[in-house]
Amino acid sequence: MSYSPLFLSLKIATIATIIVFLLGVLSARIISRRIFPGKSIVESVLLLPLVLPPTVVGFGLLYLFGVNGPIGHWLLLLFDYKVVFTWVAAVIAAIVVSFPLMYQSASAAFQNYDPNVENAALTMGASKFKVFFTISLPLAWPGLLAGLVLTFARALGEFGATLMIAGNIPGVTSTIPLAIYSAVEAGRMEQAYTWVIVIIALGFSSVLWLNWWTKRNVMSFKQNS
Amino acid sequence: MLTVDIKKKLKAFQLDAGFTMNNEIVVLFGPSGSGKTTTLNCLSGLSHPDEGSIQLRGRTLFSKKQKPVPVQKRNIGYVFQDYALFPHMTVRNNILYGAKSMEEVDQLVDTLGISHLLEEYPRNISGGEKQRVALARAFATKPELLLLDEPFSSLDENVKKECHNELLRLHKKWGIPVILVTHDQAEANKLADRVIEMEQGRVLE
Amino acid sequence: MLKRLTPWFFVLLLLVSCSNEQEKEQTLTISAAASLTDAIEEITDIYEQSHNLSITLNIAGSGRLAQQIEQGAPADVFLSANQKWMDEMENKTVIDPSTRINFVTNRLVVISKKGTDPLPSIQSITQLEKNEQIALGQPGSVPAGTYTKQGLESIHLWDDLEEKMVFGNDVRQVLAYVESGNVTYGFVYGSDAASSEKVSIVSELEDDSHDAIVYPAAVVKASDHPDSARDFVDFLRSEEAQNIFSAYGFKPVEEREG
Repeated sequence: MSYSPLFLSLKIATIATIIVFLLGVLSARIISRRIFPGKSIVESVLLLPLVLPPTVVGFGLLYLFGVNGPIGHWLLLLFDYKVVFTWVAAVIAAIVVSFPLMYQSASAAFQNYDPNVENAALTMGASKFKVFFTISLPLAWPGLLAGLVLTFARALGEFGATLMIAGNIPGVTSTIPLAIYSAVEAGRMEQAYTWVIVIIALGFSSVLWLNWWTKRNVMSFKQNS
Repeated sequence: MLTVDIKKKLKAFQLDAGFTMNNEIVVLFGPSGSGKTTTLNCLSGLSHPDEGSIQLRGRTLFSKKQKPVPVQKRNIGYVFQDYALFPHMTVRNNILYGAKSMEEVDQLVDTLGISHLLEEYPRNISGGEKQRVALARAFATKPELLLLDEPFSSLDENVKKECHNELLRLHKKWGIPVILVTHDQAEANKLADRVIEMEQGRVLE
Repeated sequence: MLKRLTPWFFVLLLLVSCSNEQEKEQTLTISAAASLTDAIEEITDIYEQSHNLSITLNIAGSGRLAQQIEQGAPADVFLSANQKWMDEMENKTVIDPSTRINFVTNRLVVISKKGTDPLPSIQSITQLEKNEQIALGQPGSVPAGTYTKQGLESIHLWDDLEEKMVFGNDVRQVLAYVESGNVTYGFVYGSDAASSEKVSIVSELEDDSHDAIVYPAAVVKASDHPDSARDFVDFLRSEEAQNIFSAYGFKPVEEREG
C-alpha cells in the first residue's frame, strides 16, 4: 500500500487551509461589520457551498474550470495551463467547500468583542495595519483558530467536488477519501479499512486538539474581556 | 481653541451642532439619542459630518474643501463609555500603546494612583480603576482635546465623586479642552465650566 | 391524542394497500454494467411491452454493482462487463450458476474528440503534450479499465503512460471526460464510441492483447422472481435482442468463438 494518499491529503488540505484562512479573514473583516445594500445576498452566496451538495459545487467548478469553461479556457489560452484533473483542481475544490466554515467562524470572531476597542486604538494614533495585528487579530484569534481547524478537517474530507474536477489520479489527486472510494469499488476492503482508520484518526485528533486548546486558552481569555 | 460647526443626517433627525470653546470643560448634556456621541465621533474622526467644519488650535480637522484629517492624526484623546481597555494586554501595555514619552507615563501613573496595577489585566481591576486606566491611556498620547463619553455612568456614587475630583485636578494640571458627555444633571453642574444642552441633534441656547 | 391520530392511521392503511396493489405487477430489477446503458434500455423497453411486468434498471460500474448486490441491494439479474466480477459473485454464491450465460462481446478502442485524425499506431499515444491526459476505467473495479491495463501492459506502454492517466469510475465517465475535452484520449468499448456523436475512434487495442471481453449474465439467488429473471436472461440471446446489441456496436458471442 502506498502512503501517497496520506501525503496528498495533507498537502492539499494544508495549502487549501492557508488560502481559505487568508481569504476568510479578509472577507469577514471587510464584510461582516459593514452595512450595505445586498449584504445578506453577498453573505448567502459566500455560504452557499455549505448547503449545496458537493456534486453541485463540483459541477459548477467543472463548468468554470473545464477546458471549454470561462476560466479554464483563458487559463489554457494565456498560460498554457490546464487545471482540471490536476492537484491544483483538488485544492480549488477543497477551498470552495471549506471557505464558508472559515468565513462564518471569522465573522463571528470579529463581532465577538467591543468594536470601540479598535476605535480606541485608532484615536491613540495606531495605523489600521497596527490595529489589525495588535488588537483585532489577537482578540478574534480563538474564533479564527476554531475556523482554521474546521477548515482543515473539511478540506481533508472533501470528496464529491474533488472527484468531479480533479478526477481520481493515483499520486496526483487521489486523496484519502478518494482512495477509500476506489478501494471499496475494487473490493479491497482491507485497504479501505486502513484509510478509514487513518482519516478518522486525523479528524478526531484535530478536533480533540481544538477542544483542548480552547479549554486551556479561551476560558482564561474570556475572563479578560 | 476648538470651533465646531457640523451637520450630519442621522436616522431620526438631522444633527446640527455648533459651538466654540477654550481650555475649559464643556459638558454636552441631553437625553440619550440626542446626538451627543455622534458629535464626539465626528470630532475624533471615527465618523464624519456631511458638511461643516471642525478646527482645533488653528488646524482644520474637517472642512468641505479638503480631505478630513484621519483619526490617527487628530491627536484627540477619547475615553469610551465602557472604557474599551484592551482585554488581552496588561494595564502597562494599555497605557503604553499610544504613549509619546515614557517618563511622562510614569508621572501620569503616579498622579492617578494606579502604579500598583501596572501588571494586572483589565479583568482583574475594579470599575473605578478601569476608569483611571482609561484616562491615563488617553492622556499618555498627549492629546490636544479630550473626549469623555459618559465616563462615570457605571461607577457607584463614592467612586464617582472621587473620579470627578480627579478629573478637575487633572484638567487644572494639563489645561486642555475637555468635552464630557453625560445625562446626569448633577454631574454636569459640578464639572462644567459651560453646559451645552442638546436635544434632537440641536444645541439649545 | 389518539383520536387525532386515527384519520392518519387510515391514510396510512390506504397507502399501504395501494402499494400492495402495485406489487401485483411484477418488477424486475436489472443491474447492468454501465457500458450496456443504451442497448439495455432499448431491450428492456421491448421486453416490458411484450411481457406483463415492469423493469427497473440499475446502471453502474460492474464492480460497484457486484458490491451492491453482495450487500443485499435488490436485484434479480446481474449483467457484468467482465467474467471477474461474475466469478466472484458465483464463488460467493450470490448468483445462481446454472443460469449464467455469455450474451455479447465487445472490443476496446481509443477515442478522442470528434474530427481528430486517427493515430498512425497505438504507440504514438505516448506523444502527449504537457496538458494532455488519458482517461480509462479504474483498473481495480471497472472491467474496461482492467482490460485496458492488460492491453497496455502487453504492448509495454503502461509504465510510460501511467502518470498521464485519469481513472473513471465507470466507462461512461471516461467517455464524458473525452466528450468535454478535458481529457485528450480515452479507452472505451467500441459500443461506447458508437453511442457518442462527439468522439471519433482514433485507434484500438488488439483483441489478443487482453482477455476476451465477454459479458456474462446471471440470475441473482435472492431474486423474488427467479423464473421471470431467467426468462429475461434467455431473451438477451434472442435474435431481437442481439440485433439491438449489434446496432449499438456490440458483437455476438458466437462470432468470437467461431
